[in-house]
Amino acid sequence: MGQAIFMETVNSLPPELIRIVVTALVIIAFVFLNSLILGYLERKFAGWFQLRPGPMEVGPHGIFQLIVDGVKLLGKQFIIPKEANAPLFRLAPLLAFIPVGMSFIVVPFSSKLQVRDLDVGLIFILAIMALNAVAILIAGWGSNNKYSLFGAIRAVAQNVAYEIPMLLSLLSVVLMTNTFSMRGIVLAQSPVWHVILQPVAFLIYFIAGMAETHRAPFDLPEAESELTAGFHTEFSGICFSFFFIAEYTNMFFVCAIAVILFLGGWSGPPLPYMEYTGIIWFLLKVYALLFILIWVRWSFPRVRFDQLLNFCWKYLIPFSLVNLLVTAVIVKL
Amino acid sequence: MTLGTKNQDRHSFYLNMGPQHPSTHGVLRVLLEMEGEYILEPEPVIGYGHRMQEKIGESLTWNAFMPNTARIDYLSALMYNHGYVGLIERMTGIEAPRRAEYIRVITSELNRIASHLLWLGAFLLDLGAFTPIMYTFDDREQILDILEDVTGSRLTYCYYRVGGVSRDVDGTFVEGTRAFIRRLRSRFPMYDDLVTNNIIFIKRVKDIAQFTPDMAMRYGATGPILRSTGIGYDIRRNEPYSVYPEFDFDIPVGTTGDCMDVYLVRVREMEQSLRIIEQALDSLPEGPCMTKVPRRLKLPQGDASFSVEAARGELSYYLVSDGSDVPYRLKIRPPSFSNLSLLPELCRNMLLSDLVMALGALDLVIPEIDR
Amino acid sequence: MTTPNKLINDLRNLPATVHEVDYRQWGYHLDVLLEAGRVRGFAGMLRAHRFYLVFVSAVHTAPAIEIIYQFACYSRQCRILGRAAVTDNGTMPTISDIYDGANWHERETRDMFGVLFTGHPYLEPLLLPEEEADRKPLLKNGSAVKAADRIRRPNQAGIGTAEPHQGQERDQ
Repeated sequence: MGQAIFMETVNSLPPELIRIVVTALVIIAFVFLNSLILGYLERKFAGWFQLRPGPMEVGPHGIFQLIVDGVKLLGKQFIIPKEANAPLFRLAPLLAFIPVGMSFIVVPFSSKLQVRDLDVGLIFILAIMALNAVAILIAGWGSNNKYSLFGAIRAVAQNVAYEIPMLLSLLSVVLMTNTFSMRGIVLAQSPVWHVILQPVAFLIYFIAGMAETHRAPFDLPEAESELTAGFHTEFSGICFSFFFIAEYTNMFFVCAIAVILFLGGWSGPPLPYMEYTGIIWFLLKVYALLFILIWVRWSFPRVRFDQLLNFCWKYLIPFSLVNLLVTAVIVKL
Repeated sequence: MTLGTKNQDRHSFYLNMGPQHPSTHGVLRVLLEMEGEYILEPEPVIGYGHRMQEKIGESLTWNAFMPNTARIDYLSALMYNHGYVGLIERMTGIEAPRRAEYIRVITSELNRIASHLLWLGAFLLDLGAFTPIMYTFDDREQILDILEDVTGSRLTYCYYRVGGVSRDVDGTFVEGTRAFIRRLRSRFPMYDDLVTNNIIFIKRVKDIAQFTPDMAMRYGATGPILRSTGIGYDIRRNEPYSVYPEFDFDIPVGTTGDCMDVYLVRVREMEQSLRIIEQALDSLPEGPCMTKVPRRLKLPQGDASFSVEAARGELSYYLVSDGSDVPYRLKIRPPSFSNLSLLPELCRNMLLSDLVMALGALDLVIPEIDR
Repeated sequence: MTTPNKLINDLRNLPATVHEVDYRQWGYHLDVLLEAGRVRGFAGMLRAHRFYLVFVSAVHTAPAIEIIYQFACYSRQCRILGRAAVTDNGTMPTISDIYDGANWHERETRDMFGVLFTGHPYLEPLLLPEEEADRKPLLKNGSAVKAADRIRRPNQAGIGTAEPHQGQERDQ
């Protein structure tokens, strides 16, 4: 009971400023925490898939490993190659890192835990995520390294191609809900989740999302056996970790969008204070999808670049178009 | 063809792949003239790990050079041992006891499996599949443990001696090897599920980097990449040495010579090696494992050659002797040298990703090429 | 498929001196002594007989460096060792246009012995760094260089040869 009063007090605080500051702090903390947890889980799961224990040294079962790694990266010198374009080289990691926080503004963690419910929430979040490609292009170009440039060009081609099936499959959901508002889409799924009604769209979205975040088997921009480390070859220290954090946060958003649009968002068996504790269901679903991303990464070899684009243009886009058409016809009827 | 002269009429640029690059597996540098992601002209640049082993070979007595043989190709060290002791035995007419020959065959084949397992993992790592290398290393580790017990080292063995092997094997070795055979046989279906039938894997390796028999002949290619073209040439069968004629085994061959066939040939070779080991263990003769060899043995005047089937192909030693105990000239012909020299022809107009596959299929050990 | 006798006859008609060698002791079947000018014909003939190139290398003997060619065959057990002394100005015709694999072997031989292969498309250092290109590490010094007959098989004159010149220097 006391807690409810506390939350009410927080909600009724008049100065908008306090809310903004608190939100910003929470978002930044969440970005880092998510990267830490996800990084740890990725390494731990990779270890288990590979018949080894994974990180074990720092803390019980190595849970502090990522923190130690972060401190190590902070302590490293940030080297700007002599021939690199220094302003672009500095700008790229920031450009990758900063927008990811903005996407949190529209994510409904539970029915009351949402910063702003924009009317165009879905478009907003997709637009912000698309900025990542720009950051990668700048990183690859600014490095003045052929491998980086290869990675950057691949990333842009990949993002441009896969954004189409991704948007088309999300559009079929929007056709059904008649709203771009994230909250509205979650509420529209109260009897049945969209994953039941739109399985094809969900599948296409998830595959495209995997490609969008450059995860194996679509990790061509950083295909280490071909391009050493791709666009972030030349980056060291904290700037490298900015890319790293941006990648993990983008993964989070790809899965979060999947949960919001297809898996009913925060809905689940009722808990006390459901309007806040819905976040538990939300995060559980998101991390379950993230686990699938990790699972796929450590199980499959990488596709070749032409195969990647062929797959998109020849299969994903036609299928998503047909799906959209069928959805439109059914909705109209 | 010439290093550093661009094709004037094309918008090309140069890309240095290596000497530090994850998929050149050592200090190999491939200078690529590229147009976009397509390779116009690949030019391997070697010699970064050159140690002048041939000069060392003609500065030491033949006996003192033994340990160096293991350092030329560290992944199939026992076969390099085998070729060298075979050469000296052939020249001097010394015969190793049959038990020693059996032990040599068993350990050599174990070493071949270990090398192929490492290749399998590394090849898939080049493909971007991180997990299989851990599984193959797990299997390979068993071999290293078995070999460590009898040879005393895990990688750069110096186990064979002229006239036998340095120490006898015991029941533990036989038991351990049998257990390993059972284990690896049970693992092959898993590798098939995980790798051979994986759609992405098939799409990546099928019809990529096709070798032809004619190309192999022009370049002197040997080993699995030759057999993948359908030519069943294996020194163990075509120019038998040691006690290989006594065993029943097949020479796996491919049909098209693409990376898929190279993969299948290597995997089946592991199965055949298991068969050889099993037969050798079953009929392991009793007796000494070493004959008496004079301490300072002079090599007869003349020049002799000895070839063995190393993990990557034909390893040939050629020794010229002036009648002393120090070779006058020792030529080592590693298989990868010739195998790599066909890379420019193989990879012209190929995608960068496919070049990585081709390099992986060649199974390069750069110190072996550089010597 | 050619018979061994046909092959030996073809080799003798090059002309070249051919010895049959006891495989069990020396590990090859035919020892072919050539003049430098015959090397290309030798390689071309073996290519027609479907042999592959095992290696090209050299041995530093007196009076001239001897180039060693080893060939073997995928389809039967036959290993051929060709030897030819370099010409007076230290050159040798290349066989890299007949056997592409010889390209690297000849470059290596140039690195190690300084033998120049005439007609080679790209005779640049292969194993040695550019700044050490003229070191010729496998050449022997002064008294260490042995005469060719000191390193020859003792029974070279033995088995079934028709040629009268065995055991002599080939570059006379």
